[in-house]
Amino acid sequence: MALSPRYVLRETGQNLWRNVLSSAAAIITIGVSLWLFGGFFLFNYAVDNATARWEGGIEFVVWMQPDATAEQDANIRDSIDTSPAIREWVYVDQTQTYEEFREIFADTPELIEVVSPDVLPPSYRVVPENPDADVVAELSGQFVGRPGVEEVVSADQTIRDIQRLADKVTRVFLVGSVILLTAATLLILTNIVSAIRSRGAEIEIMKVVGATNWFIRVPFMLEGLAQAVLGAMGAWVGLRILDDTVIKGLSEPDSLQLMQGFRVDQGEFYSTSLLVLGIAVVVSGIGSAVAVTRYLDV
Amino acid sequence: MIKLNNVTKVYKGTVVAVRDVTVDIAKSEFVFLVGPSGSGKSTFIRLLNREELPEHGTIYVAGKDIGTLGAWRVPFLRRNIGFIFQDFKLLPKKTVAENVAFALEVIGKPRQVVRKQVPAILELVGLAAKMDNFPHELSGGEQQRVSVARAFVNRPPILLADEPTGNLDPQTSVGIMKLLDRINRTGTTVVMATHDRSIVDSMRRRVIELDRGEIVRDQARGVYE
Repeated sequence: MALSPRYVLRETGQNLWRNVLSSAAAIITIGVSLWLFGGFFLFNYAVDNATARWEGGIEFVVWMQPDATAEQDANIRDSIDTSPAIREWVYVDQTQTYEEFREIFADTPELIEVVSPDVLPPSYRVVPENPDADVVAELSGQFVGRPGVEEVVSADQTIRDIQRLADKVTRVFLVGSVILLTAATLLILTNIVSAIRSRGAEIEIMKVVGATNWFIRVPFMLEGLAQAVLGAMGAWVGLRILDDTVIKGLSEPDSLQLMQGFRVDQGEFYSTSLLVLGIAVVVSGIGSAVAVTRYLDV
Repeated sequence: MIKLNNVTKVYKGTVVAVRDVTVDIAKSEFVFLVGPSGSGKSTFIRLLNREELPEHGTIYVAGKDIGTLGAWRVPFLRRNIGFIFQDFKLLPKKTVAENVAFALEVIGKPRQVVRKQVPAILELVGLAAKMDNFPHELSGGEQQRVSVARAFVNRPPILLADEPTGNLDPQTSVGIMKLLDRINRTGTTVVMATHDRSIVDSMRRRVIELDRGEIVRDQARGVYE
Protein backbone atom coordinates (compact mmCIF):
# COMPACT_ATOMS: atom_id res chain seq x y z
CA MET A 1 0.00 0.00 0.00
CA ALA A 2 1.35 3.39 -0.96
CA LEU A 3 1.79 6.23 1.47
CA SER A 4 -1.04 8.70 1.18
CA PRO A 5 0.42 12.20 0.62
CA ARG A 6 -2.46 13.67 2.63
CA TYR A 7 -1.70 11.41 5.57
CA VAL A 8 2.06 12.06 5.41
CA LEU A 9 1.63 15.84 5.19
CA ARG A 10 -0.86 15.87 8.05
CA GLU A 11 1.33 13.75 10.32
CA THR A 12 4.50 15.69 9.46
CA GLY A 13 2.71 18.99 10.07
CA GLN A 14 1.38 17.75 13.40
CA ASN A 15 4.86 16.60 14.46
CA LEU A 16 6.32 20.01 13.62
CA TRP A 17 3.52 21.84 15.39
CA ARG A 18 3.70 19.60 18.47
CA ASN A 19 7.38 20.57 18.92
CA VAL A 20 7.01 24.07 17.56
CA LEU A 21 9.59 25.71 19.85
CA SER A 22 12.28 23.09 19.43
CA SER A 23 11.48 22.92 15.70
CA ALA A 24 12.05 26.68 15.52
CA ALA A 25 15.34 26.27 17.41
CA ALA A 26 16.46 23.58 14.98
CA ILE A 27 15.47 25.65 11.93
CA ILE A 28 17.35 28.71 13.23
CA THR A 29 20.45 26.67 14.11
CA ILE A 30 20.44 24.99 10.71
CA GLY A 31 19.88 28.34 9.03
CA VAL A 32 22.78 30.03 10.82
CA SER A 33 25.13 27.08 10.34
CA LEU A 34 24.31 26.81 6.65
CA TRP A 35 24.68 30.57 6.28
CA LEU A 36 28.18 30.33 7.79
CA PHE A 37 28.93 27.34 5.58
CA GLY A 38 27.71 29.14 2.47
CA GLY A 39 29.47 32.32 3.58
CA PHE A 40 32.73 30.37 3.75
CA PHE A 41 32.33 29.45 0.09
CA LEU A 42 31.20 32.90 -1.04
CA PHE A 43 34.14 34.61 0.68
CA ASN A 44 36.51 32.06 -0.79
CA TYR A 45 35.10 32.66 -4.26
CA ALA A 46 35.31 36.43 -3.77
CA VAL A 47 38.89 36.33 -2.48
CA ASP A 48 39.91 33.94 -5.26
CA ASN A 49 38.36 36.28 -7.81
CA ALA A 50 40.07 39.32 -6.27
CA THR A 51 43.49 37.73 -6.05
CA ALA A 52 43.34 35.24 -8.91
CA ARG A 53 46.30 36.73 -10.74
CA TRP A 54 48.40 36.61 -7.59
CA GLU A 55 48.03 32.89 -6.90
CA GLY A 56 51.05 30.57 -6.91
CA GLY A 57 53.56 33.05 -5.50
CA ILE A 58 53.25 35.48 -8.39
CA GLU A 59 54.58 38.80 -7.11
CA PHE A 60 54.36 41.04 -10.14
CA VAL A 61 52.81 41.14 -13.60
CA VAL A 62 54.37 42.75 -16.65
CA TRP A 63 51.48 43.85 -18.87
CA MET A 64 52.54 44.18 -22.49
CA GLN A 65 50.90 46.57 -24.93
CA PRO A 66 48.38 44.73 -27.14
CA ASP A 67 50.22 45.99 -30.20
CA ALA A 68 53.75 45.34 -28.89
CA THR A 69 56.05 44.05 -31.61
CA ALA A 70 57.50 40.56 -31.60
CA GLU A 71 60.92 42.06 -31.01
CA GLN A 72 59.76 44.04 -27.98
CA ASP A 73 58.06 40.95 -26.61
CA ALA A 74 61.19 38.84 -27.22
CA ASN A 75 63.33 41.37 -25.33
CA ILE A 76 61.13 41.28 -22.28
CA ARG A 77 60.82 37.51 -22.39
CA ASP A 78 64.61 37.18 -22.67
CA SER A 79 65.14 39.50 -19.67
CA ILE A 80 62.71 37.52 -17.55
CA ASP A 81 63.98 34.16 -18.69
CA THR A 82 67.64 34.91 -18.02
CA SER A 83 67.24 36.76 -14.74
CA PRO A 84 68.72 34.75 -11.84
CA ALA A 85 66.34 36.61 -9.47
CA ILE A 86 63.29 35.04 -11.14
CA ARG A 87 62.34 31.51 -10.15
CA GLU A 88 59.57 30.97 -12.70
CA TRP A 89 57.19 32.83 -14.96
CA VAL A 90 54.05 32.27 -16.99
CA TYR A 91 53.08 33.97 -20.21
CA VAL A 92 49.35 34.69 -20.53
CA ASP A 93 48.50 35.42 -24.14
CA GLN A 94 45.60 37.52 -25.40
CA THR A 95 43.26 34.53 -25.75
CA GLN A 96 43.91 33.46 -22.16
CA THR A 97 43.50 37.03 -20.99
CA TYR A 98 40.19 37.17 -22.80
CA GLU A 99 39.07 33.98 -20.97
CA GLU A 100 39.98 35.59 -17.64
CA PHE A 101 38.10 38.70 -18.69
CA ARG A 102 35.02 36.63 -19.54
CA GLU A 103 35.14 34.96 -16.12
CA ILE A 104 35.54 38.22 -14.24
CA PHE A 105 32.75 39.95 -16.14
CA ALA A 106 30.45 36.95 -16.52
CA ASP A 107 27.63 39.02 -15.03
CA THR A 108 28.16 41.83 -17.53
CA PRO A 109 27.64 40.22 -20.96
CA GLU A 110 27.27 43.61 -22.63
CA LEU A 111 30.87 44.37 -21.68
CA ILE A 112 32.09 41.02 -22.99
CA GLU A 113 30.32 41.67 -26.29
CA VAL A 114 32.28 44.85 -27.01
CA VAL A 115 35.69 43.41 -26.09
CA SER A 116 37.71 41.09 -28.30
CA PRO A 117 40.98 39.26 -27.49
CA ASP A 118 43.08 41.53 -29.71
CA VAL A 119 42.44 44.63 -27.56
CA LEU A 120 43.47 42.91 -24.35
CA PRO A 121 47.10 42.94 -23.22
CA PRO A 122 49.14 39.75 -22.86
CA SER A 123 51.23 39.51 -19.72
CA TYR A 124 54.15 37.88 -17.96
CA ARG A 125 53.33 36.69 -14.42
CA VAL A 126 56.49 36.42 -12.47
CA VAL A 127 57.51 34.45 -9.37
CA PRO A 128 60.77 35.87 -7.96
CA GLU A 129 63.31 33.86 -5.96
CA ASN A 130 62.91 36.28 -3.05
CA PRO A 131 59.38 37.55 -2.27
CA ASP A 132 60.67 40.36 -0.02
CA ALA A 133 58.75 43.56 -0.88
CA ASP A 134 61.91 45.64 -1.50
CA VAL A 135 63.45 42.98 -3.74
CA VAL A 136 60.19 42.64 -5.70
CA ALA A 137 59.93 46.42 -6.07
CA GLU A 138 63.46 46.64 -7.43
CA LEU A 139 63.03 43.67 -9.74
CA SER A 140 59.68 44.80 -11.14
CA GLY A 141 61.04 48.33 -11.56
CA GLN A 142 63.51 47.00 -14.15
CA PHE A 143 60.60 46.47 -16.57
CA VAL A 144 58.83 49.78 -16.08
CA GLY A 145 58.89 52.01 -19.18
CA ARG A 146 60.64 49.50 -21.41
CA PRO A 147 59.46 49.36 -25.04
CA GLY A 148 56.27 47.34 -25.46
CA VAL A 149 55.49 47.36 -21.73
CA GLU A 150 52.13 48.86 -20.83
CA GLU A 151 52.30 48.60 -17.08
CA VAL A 152 54.00 46.65 -14.29
CA VAL A 153 51.77 45.76 -11.36
CA SER A 154 53.12 44.31 -8.11
CA ALA A 155 51.33 42.23 -5.50
CA ASP A 156 52.15 44.28 -2.51
CA GLN A 157 51.86 43.40 1.16
CA THR A 158 48.22 44.51 1.25
CA ILE A 159 47.16 41.68 -1.06
CA ARG A 160 49.02 39.16 1.04
CA ASP A 161 47.38 40.62 4.14
CA ILE A 162 43.97 40.35 2.53
CA GLN A 163 44.64 36.73 1.61
CA ARG A 164 45.79 35.93 5.12
CA LEU A 165 42.81 37.75 6.68
CA ALA A 166 40.42 36.03 4.28
CA ASP A 167 41.97 32.68 5.19
CA LYS A 168 41.32 33.36 8.86
CA VAL A 169 37.77 34.64 8.29
CA THR A 170 36.80 31.72 6.12
CA ARG A 171 38.35 29.29 8.59
CA VAL A 172 36.22 30.78 11.36
CA PHE A 173 33.17 30.47 9.09
CA LEU A 174 34.02 26.84 8.33
CA VAL A 175 34.76 25.78 11.90
CA GLY A 176 31.71 27.68 13.19
CA SER A 177 29.47 26.11 10.57
CA VAL A 178 30.74 22.59 11.27
CA ILE A 179 30.10 23.04 15.01
CA LEU A 180 26.65 24.48 14.38
CA LEU A 181 25.82 21.82 11.80
CA THR A 182 26.68 19.18 14.38
CA ALA A 183 24.42 20.97 16.86
CA ALA A 184 21.70 21.17 14.21
CA THR A 185 21.98 17.45 13.49
CA LEU A 186 21.62 16.71 17.21
CA LEU A 187 18.66 19.10 17.46
CA ILE A 188 16.89 17.38 14.58
CA LEU A 189 17.61 14.03 16.20
CA THR A 190 16.31 15.26 19.56
CA ASN A 191 13.16 16.71 17.98
CA ILE A 192 12.39 13.48 16.18
CA VAL A 193 13.05 11.40 19.29
CA SER A 194 10.77 13.74 21.22
CA ALA A 195 8.08 13.36 18.53
CA ILE A 196 8.51 9.57 18.60
CA ARG A 197 8.09 9.52 22.39
CA SER A 198 5.09 11.82 22.40
CA ARG A 199 3.45 9.56 19.80
CA GLY A 200 4.32 6.29 21.51
CA ALA A 201 0.67 5.21 21.79
CA GLU A 202 -0.01 5.91 18.13
CA ILE A 203 3.10 4.04 17.07
CA GLU A 204 2.08 1.05 19.17
CA ILE A 205 -1.34 1.00 17.49
CA MET A 206 0.22 1.40 14.07
CA LYS A 207 2.48 -1.59 14.67
CA VAL A 208 -0.36 -3.74 15.97
CA VAL A 209 -2.70 -3.02 13.06
CA GLY A 210 0.02 -3.71 10.49
CA ALA A 211 1.46 -0.38 9.34
CA THR A 212 4.73 -0.95 7.51
CA ASN A 213 8.02 0.24 8.95
CA TRP A 214 8.33 2.94 6.32
CA PHE A 215 4.78 4.11 6.82
CA ILE A 216 5.63 4.72 10.48
CA ARG A 217 9.05 6.22 9.80
CA VAL A 218 8.46 8.52 6.85
CA PRO A 219 6.52 11.28 8.67
CA PHE A 220 9.32 11.52 11.25
CA MET A 221 11.99 11.66 8.57
CA LEU A 222 10.05 14.31 6.69
CA GLU A 223 9.87 16.33 9.88
CA GLY A 224 13.68 16.45 9.93
CA LEU A 225 13.80 17.23 6.22
CA ALA A 226 11.26 20.04 6.59
CA GLN A 227 13.31 21.62 9.37
CA ALA A 228 16.49 21.38 7.30
CA VAL A 229 14.92 22.78 4.13
CA LEU A 230 13.34 25.69 6.03
CA GLY A 231 16.75 26.36 7.60
CA ALA A 232 18.37 26.21 4.15
CA MET A 233 15.82 28.72 2.82
CA GLY A 234 16.71 31.07 5.67
CA ALA A 235 20.39 30.57 4.95
CA TRP A 236 19.79 31.31 1.26
CA VAL A 237 18.16 34.63 2.13
CA GLY A 238 21.10 35.39 4.45
CA LEU A 239 23.61 34.56 1.71
CA ARG A 240 21.75 36.79 -0.74
CA ILE A 241 22.00 39.63 1.75
CA LEU A 242 25.69 38.85 2.38
CA ASP A 243 26.39 38.97 -1.35
CA ASP A 244 24.29 42.07 -2.04
CA THR A 245 25.60 44.11 0.86
CA VAL A 246 28.99 42.99 2.20
CA ILE A 247 30.63 41.41 -0.85
CA LYS A 248 29.23 43.80 -3.44
CA GLY A 249 29.85 46.68 -1.01
CA LEU A 250 33.53 45.80 -0.74
CA SER A 251 33.91 45.78 -4.51
CA GLU A 252 32.19 49.14 -5.06
CA PRO A 253 34.18 51.47 -7.38
CA ASP A 254 34.91 53.84 -4.50
CA SER A 255 36.20 51.08 -2.23
CA LEU A 256 39.78 49.95 -1.77
CA GLN A 257 41.37 49.54 -5.20
CA LEU A 258 42.66 46.08 -4.33
CA MET A 259 39.10 44.89 -3.61
CA GLN A 260 37.81 45.77 -7.07
CA GLY A 261 37.73 42.13 -8.12
CA PHE A 262 36.17 41.01 -4.83
CA ARG A 263 32.98 39.55 -6.23
CA VAL A 264 30.92 36.37 -6.62
CA ASP A 265 29.35 35.57 -9.96
CA GLN A 266 25.86 34.11 -10.36
CA GLY A 267 27.13 30.62 -11.14
CA GLU A 268 29.23 30.59 -7.98
CA PHE A 269 26.30 31.90 -5.93
CA TYR A 270 23.88 29.26 -7.23
CA SER A 271 26.38 26.41 -6.88
CA THR A 272 26.87 27.52 -3.25
CA SER A 273 23.09 27.62 -2.79
CA LEU A 274 22.76 24.10 -4.15
CA LEU A 275 25.57 22.94 -1.88
CA VAL A 276 23.82 24.51 1.12
CA LEU A 277 20.60 22.71 0.20
CA GLY A 278 22.53 19.45 -0.25
CA ILE A 279 24.17 19.83 3.15
CA ALA A 280 20.73 20.51 4.67
CA VAL A 281 19.41 17.27 3.18
CA VAL A 282 22.47 15.35 4.42
CA VAL A 283 22.17 16.84 7.92
CA SER A 284 18.47 16.01 8.14
CA GLY A 285 19.14 12.57 6.68
CA ILE A 286 21.73 11.79 9.35
CA GLY A 287 19.59 13.14 12.20
CA SER A 288 16.44 11.39 10.97
CA ALA A 289 18.15 8.12 10.15
CA VAL A 290 19.75 7.85 13.59
CA ALA A 291 16.47 8.80 15.29
CA VAL A 292 14.25 6.33 13.45
CA THR A 293 16.71 3.44 13.50
CA ARG A 294 17.84 3.79 17.12
CA TYR A 295 14.76 5.19 18.84
CA LEU A 296 11.84 3.94 16.75
CA ASP A 297 11.32 0.25 17.32
CA VAL A 298 9.05 -0.92 14.51
CA MET B 1 -5.76 -21.51 11.62
CA ILE B 2 -3.19 -21.38 14.45
CA LYS B 3 -0.69 -24.12 15.24
CA LEU B 4 2.10 -24.14 17.80
CA ASN B 5 4.61 -27.00 17.81
CA ASN B 6 6.83 -27.42 20.89
CA VAL B 7 7.09 -23.69 21.39
CA THR B 8 9.34 -22.39 24.15
CA LYS B 9 9.90 -18.73 24.97
CA VAL B 10 12.59 -17.72 27.46
CA TYR B 11 13.19 -14.14 28.63
CA LYS B 12 16.70 -12.99 29.50
CA GLY B 13 17.98 -16.52 29.12
CA THR B 14 16.48 -17.78 32.37
CA VAL B 15 12.80 -16.87 32.74
CA VAL B 16 10.72 -19.47 30.90
CA ALA B 17 7.46 -17.77 29.89
CA VAL B 18 6.16 -20.54 27.60
CA ARG B 19 7.50 -24.08 27.80
CA ASP B 20 7.17 -26.70 25.08
CA VAL B 21 3.65 -25.69 24.09
CA THR B 22 1.91 -27.62 21.33
CA VAL B 23 -1.59 -26.58 20.41
CA ASP B 24 -3.86 -26.42 17.40
CA ILE B 25 -6.65 -23.84 17.07
CA ALA B 26 -9.10 -24.27 14.22
CA LYS B 27 -10.76 -21.58 12.15
CA SER B 28 -13.79 -20.01 13.86
CA GLU B 29 -12.85 -21.37 17.28
CA PHE B 30 -13.28 -19.27 20.39
CA VAL B 31 -10.49 -20.09 22.86
CA PHE B 32 -10.00 -18.82 26.40
CA LEU B 33 -6.46 -18.75 27.78
CA VAL B 34 -6.63 -18.95 31.56
CA GLY B 35 -4.13 -19.26 34.34
CA PRO B 36 -2.61 -17.23 37.16
CA SER B 37 -0.58 -14.07 36.57
CA GLY B 38 2.81 -14.93 35.10
CA SER B 39 1.56 -18.22 33.68
CA GLY B 40 2.43 -17.14 30.13
CA LYS B 41 -0.95 -16.06 28.71
CA SER B 42 0.22 -12.68 27.46
CA THR B 43 3.42 -14.16 26.04
CA PHE B 44 1.32 -16.77 24.23
CA ILE B 45 -0.70 -13.99 22.59
CA ARG B 46 2.38 -11.92 21.80
CA LEU B 47 3.93 -14.93 20.09
CA LEU B 48 0.90 -15.25 17.82
CA ASN B 49 1.22 -11.59 16.83
CA ARG B 50 4.99 -11.97 16.33
CA GLU B 51 5.74 -9.35 18.90
CA GLU B 52 7.94 -12.09 20.33
CA LEU B 53 9.87 -14.87 18.68
CA PRO B 54 10.20 -18.31 20.31
CA GLU B 55 13.56 -19.78 21.25
CA HIS B 56 12.33 -23.21 20.15
CA GLY B 57 9.47 -24.56 18.13
CA THR B 58 7.38 -23.32 15.24
CA ILE B 59 4.24 -21.22 15.04
CA TYR B 60 1.90 -21.35 12.06
CA VAL B 61 -0.73 -18.70 11.55
CA ALA B 62 -3.03 -19.12 8.56
CA GLY B 63 -0.68 -21.78 7.20
CA LYS B 64 2.47 -19.65 7.43
CA ASP B 65 5.46 -20.27 9.66
CA ILE B 66 5.62 -16.83 11.21
CA GLY B 67 9.04 -17.49 12.75
CA THR B 68 10.62 -17.45 9.29
CA LEU B 69 8.76 -14.38 8.05
CA GLY B 70 11.04 -11.53 7.00
CA ALA B 71 10.69 -8.42 9.17
CA TRP B 72 9.17 -6.53 6.24
CA ARG B 73 6.35 -9.10 6.01
CA VAL B 74 5.35 -8.91 9.67
CA PRO B 75 3.04 -5.88 9.13
CA PHE B 76 1.17 -7.85 6.48
CA LEU B 77 0.75 -10.74 8.94
CA ARG B 78 -0.64 -8.33 11.52
CA ARG B 79 -3.26 -7.04 9.08
CA ASN B 80 -4.81 -10.50 9.46
CA ILE B 81 -4.83 -10.32 13.25
CA GLY B 82 -6.98 -7.91 15.25
CA PHE B 83 -5.72 -7.04 18.72
CA ILE B 84 -7.74 -5.88 21.72
CA PHE B 85 -5.92 -4.43 24.73
CA GLN B 86 -6.98 -4.52 28.35
CA ASP B 87 -6.49 -0.75 28.65
CA PHE B 88 -8.14 0.06 25.30
CA LYS B 89 -5.22 2.21 24.04
CA LEU B 90 -7.44 4.75 22.33
CA LEU B 91 -5.86 7.94 21.06
CA PRO B 92 -7.27 10.70 23.27
CA LYS B 93 -7.14 13.50 20.71
CA LYS B 94 -9.03 11.54 18.08
CA THR B 95 -12.77 10.99 18.00
CA VAL B 96 -14.30 7.53 18.05
CA ALA B 97 -14.55 7.49 14.26
CA GLU B 98 -11.00 8.81 13.88
CA ASN B 99 -9.64 6.17 16.25
CA VAL B 100 -11.21 3.45 14.15
CA ALA B 101 -10.30 5.10 10.85
CA PHE B 102 -6.68 5.37 12.00
CA ALA B 103 -6.35 1.58 11.82
CA LEU B 104 -7.32 1.68 8.15
CA GLU B 105 -5.41 4.84 7.21
CA VAL B 106 -2.08 3.54 8.47
CA ILE B 107 -2.33 0.44 6.30
CA GLY B 108 -2.97 2.65 3.31
CA LYS B 109 -6.69 1.99 2.75
CA PRO B 110 -8.27 4.51 0.38
CA ARG B 111 -10.52 7.20 1.80
CA GLN B 112 -13.65 5.79 0.24
CA VAL B 113 -13.01 2.45 1.96
CA VAL B 114 -12.46 4.22 5.29
CA ARG B 115 -15.66 6.25 4.84
CA LYS B 116 -17.64 3.07 4.17
CA GLN B 117 -16.17 0.70 6.75
CA VAL B 118 -15.92 2.95 9.80
CA PRO B 119 -19.66 3.72 10.15
CA ALA B 120 -20.46 0.06 9.46
CA ILE B 121 -18.22 -1.26 12.23
CA LEU B 122 -19.42 1.42 14.66
CA GLU B 123 -22.96 0.30 13.90
CA LEU B 124 -21.92 -3.28 14.69
CA VAL B 125 -20.48 -2.35 18.08
CA GLY B 126 -23.42 -0.08 18.91
CA LEU B 127 -21.57 3.23 18.85
CA ALA B 128 -22.89 4.81 15.65
CA ALA B 129 -24.42 7.62 17.66
CA LYS B 130 -21.14 8.43 19.37
CA MET B 131 -18.75 8.46 16.43
CA ASP B 132 -17.88 12.13 16.98
CA ASN B 133 -17.27 11.79 20.71
CA PHE B 134 -13.79 11.73 22.19
CA PRO B 135 -12.65 8.77 24.31
CA HIS B 136 -12.87 10.73 27.57
CA GLU B 137 -16.57 11.28 26.88
CA LEU B 138 -17.22 7.52 26.85
CA SER B 139 -17.69 4.94 29.59
CA GLY B 140 -15.12 2.14 30.01
CA GLY B 141 -17.37 -0.31 28.22
CA GLU B 142 -17.88 2.06 25.33
CA GLN B 143 -14.13 2.67 25.08
CA GLN B 144 -13.55 -1.07 24.88
CA ARG B 145 -16.18 -1.29 22.15
CA VAL B 146 -14.20 1.30 20.19
CA SER B 147 -11.11 -0.83 20.75
CA VAL B 148 -12.98 -3.87 19.41
CA ALA B 149 -14.19 -1.85 16.43
CA ARG B 150 -10.64 -0.76 15.66
CA ALA B 151 -9.39 -4.34 15.89
CA PHE B 152 -12.15 -5.69 13.66
CA VAL B 153 -12.64 -2.87 11.15
CA ASN B 154 -10.26 -4.53 8.69
CA ARG B 155 -12.20 -7.82 9.11
CA PRO B 156 -9.19 -9.91 10.16
CA PRO B 157 -9.71 -13.70 10.32
CA ILE B 158 -8.10 -13.80 13.78
CA LEU B 159 -8.84 -11.68 16.85
CA LEU B 160 -6.51 -11.70 19.86
CA ALA B 161 -7.67 -10.18 23.13
CA ASP B 162 -5.45 -9.74 26.17
CA GLU B 163 -7.81 -9.51 29.16
CA PRO B 164 -10.30 -7.24 27.35
CA THR B 165 -12.66 -7.20 30.35
CA GLY B 166 -9.93 -6.71 32.93
CA ASN B 167 -10.78 -3.02 33.46
CA LEU B 168 -14.55 -3.40 33.23
CA ASP B 169 -17.33 -4.16 35.71
CA PRO B 170 -19.12 -7.53 35.35
CA GLN B 171 -22.18 -6.13 33.62
CA THR B 172 -20.16 -4.20 31.06
CA SER B 173 -17.94 -7.25 30.56
CA VAL B 174 -20.97 -9.28 29.53
CA GLY B 175 -21.72 -6.71 26.83
CA ILE B 176 -18.18 -6.95 25.46
CA MET B 177 -18.30 -10.74 25.50
CA LYS B 178 -21.57 -10.71 23.58
CA LEU B 179 -19.86 -8.53 21.01
CA LEU B 180 -16.87 -10.87 20.75
CA ASP B 181 -19.22 -13.83 20.51
CA ARG B 182 -21.04 -12.12 17.67
CA ILE B 183 -17.77 -11.47 15.87
CA ASN B 184 -16.74 -15.09 16.41
CA ARG B 185 -19.97 -16.23 14.77
CA THR B 186 -18.95 -14.43 11.58
CA GLY B 187 -16.13 -17.01 11.26
CA THR B 188 -13.42 -15.09 13.07
CA THR B 189 -11.08 -17.09 15.28
CA VAL B 190 -10.91 -15.50 18.75
CA VAL B 191 -8.15 -16.17 21.28
CA MET B 192 -8.72 -14.38 24.56
CA ALA B 193 -6.57 -14.32 27.68
CA THR B 194 -8.67 -13.73 30.79
CA HIS B 195 -8.92 -13.97 34.55
CA ASP B 196 -12.70 -13.59 34.48
CA ARG B 197 -14.11 -16.80 35.88
CA SER B 198 -17.78 -15.93 35.38
CA ILE B 199 -17.32 -15.16 31.70
CA VAL B 200 -15.45 -18.39 31.00
CA ASP B 201 -17.94 -20.41 32.95
CA SER B 202 -20.94 -18.85 31.28
CA MET B 203 -19.71 -19.09 27.70
CA ARG B 204 -18.51 -22.71 27.84
CA ARG B 205 -15.98 -22.51 25.04
CA ARG B 206 -12.60 -24.18 24.63
CA VAL B 207 -10.33 -23.43 27.60
CA ILE B 208 -6.54 -23.73 27.55
CA GLU B 209 -5.04 -23.40 31.01
CA LEU B 210 -1.42 -22.39 31.41
CA ASP B 211 0.70 -22.73 34.51
CA ARG B 212 4.32 -21.58 34.60
CA GLY B 213 4.36 -21.58 30.83
CA GLU B 214 3.03 -25.09 30.33
CA ILE B 215 -0.38 -26.20 29.13
CA VAL B 216 -1.93 -28.06 32.05
CA ARG B 217 -5.44 -28.33 30.61
CA ASP B 218 -7.02 -28.10 27.17
CA GLN B 219 -10.74 -28.61 27.41
CA ALA B 220 -13.53 -28.21 24.85
CA ARG B 221 -16.56 -26.39 26.30
CA GLY B 222 -14.56 -25.93 29.47
CA VAL B 223 -14.86 -23.89 32.64
CA TYR B 224 -12.37 -21.64 34.39
CA GLU B 225 -11.13 -24.32 36.79
